[in-house]
Amino acid sequence: MAQTIQTIKQRKGILGALAAVAVAIGLYWSLAVAPPDAYQGDVQRIMYLHLPSILTAYLSYFLVFVGSAMYLWKRERRDDLLAHAAAELGVLFTALTIIEGSIWGKPTWGVWWTWDARLTLTAILLLIYTGYLMLRSLIDDENRAASAAAILGIIGFLDIPLIHMSVYWWRTLHQPPSILRPDKAPWENVHPAMLTALVISFVGFLLIYFYLLSLRYRVGEMRQEIKTLRLERGV
Amino acid sequence: MELLTQSYLLLQKDLRLELRRRDSLLTMFFFGTLLLFVFHFSFDVAADKMAEMAPALLWLAFLFTGTLGLAQLFQSERENHCLDALLLSPLDRGALFLAKSGFNLLLMILVELVVMPLFWILFNLSSWNLLPQLFLVTLLGTVGFCVLGTIMSAITLRARARELLLPLVLFPLMIPVLLATIRCMETVLKTGTFNDAAPWLRLLFGFDVIFLTLGVLIFDWVIES
Amino acid sequence: MGAWGFVALAYGIVWSAIVMYWIFLKRRYRAAEAELSRLRSLEVSSDNVKK
Repeated sequence: MAQTIQTIKQRKGILGALAAVAVAIGLYWSLAVAPPDAYQGDVQRIMYLHLPSILTAYLSYFLVFVGSAMYLWKRERRDDLLAHAAAELGVLFTALTIIEGSIWGKPTWGVWWTWDARLTLTAILLLIYTGYLMLRSLIDDENRAASAAAILGIIGFLDIPLIHMSVYWWRTLHQPPSILRPDKAPWENVHPAMLTALVISFVGFLLIYFYLLSLRYRVGEMRQEIKTLRLERGV
Repeated sequence: MELLTQSYLLLQKDLRLELRRRDSLLTMFFFGTLLLFVFHFSFDVAADKMAEMAPALLWLAFLFTGTLGLAQLFQSERENHCLDALLLSPLDRGALFLAKSGFNLLLMILVELVVMPLFWILFNLSSWNLLPQLFLVTLLGTVGFCVLGTIMSAITLRARARELLLPLVLFPLMIPVLLATIRCMETVLKTGTFNDAAPWLRLLFGFDVIFLTLGVLIFDWVIES
Repeated sequence: MGAWGFVALAYGIVWSAIVMYWIFLKRRYRAAEAELSRLRSLEVSSDNVKK
């Protein structure tokens, strides 16, 4: 794990370039090659943004969890740095997911917002991890902030399945599930070009994510060092 | 059990302090009742509509009242370096967690025992026979609130704008409890039995068990000097 | 707004947000790097100590 992080840190530029290429190919495939959906038409192409965004956000939150747990266990600064960086990126991608979902919803459902399970859950995720970032910024002592955030990172992640269950039950117990849901991936009868577009877009998103993560992580690391040096040099 | 004995000791201390000055208890009582009045003015609806909204309104009141209690929870420890003293002692931190959540639970139960019948009176509800069942559901929900809330109260202890931060981090995580408790109460009010609400009850119970256990296990890391 | 309008809106917002965040990160990165090299080259001197 540490080895991979080291490698990613050093080869950031290559990662960034690769990411850009993957994204470009993904864009081409999503917008030009993949055919429009039989029911939703071209609007369905937003799915090539939406699914990768939310999956990347979930990955991010998993990393927050891992970083938080490792930090509480080993008390090594780098785990805390990872958790913080991942939380920031997670919030970014979750916000984007909500915006994409909203834009997709307007032509398909007729409204900019609906309290359907998926969107609601994503909004809750945004609230939880924004809270995480706020918690960090409001505690002055670094070590306390890291510990407090780590606890929140763990609890938040463990709560997610419970939140998921409760929101889904609430939304489906009395309402029949709608047939045309923008978030349901039609795995049967799917055109191969659509699947390819999805996969390439996802790869592009992942690479962009890890590139940004490595940058953000390094910024956090540098800030750490700056603080230490300031103390040492008496600045 | 060692853990429970220690928790009981700590709980007794808090209870004794509270019985002397009754600060938290009275504030919570008053605030809970005040909210009922605010609801009356805010919701200009027919009586039967009010009956439908009862669980939700009750739980909003309890949520805000409980948060008041949580904000006060470690107040006595913050003064006079009591927290440091506690941490230096060989007490299991899990015992501190149980004692504190138990204390907040007791406060909230006392408030709920008053506010729930009060709600029924003020809003002219008729389903008095269902109050015991409704109270049981509220109890389960309150346990979940106190357990998670105590952890959140502890980790925000040293934060700036703590009164704002505590609800901010707590409320999103409370959503399963909120949904489960309110929907369960609504079902009980509608059908008179727990049958249809079984999945909600299971969720609630699961939530309580998970975070109670988690709290005891991780409170070591939660409270640091 | 036609179908492609919505698509353009979604893709536009997402990619401009990502690019903006990237620029923002790069700026923080460069600032941190500069500060770091400045601090590293400093000698420990009494001039630096705040009175």
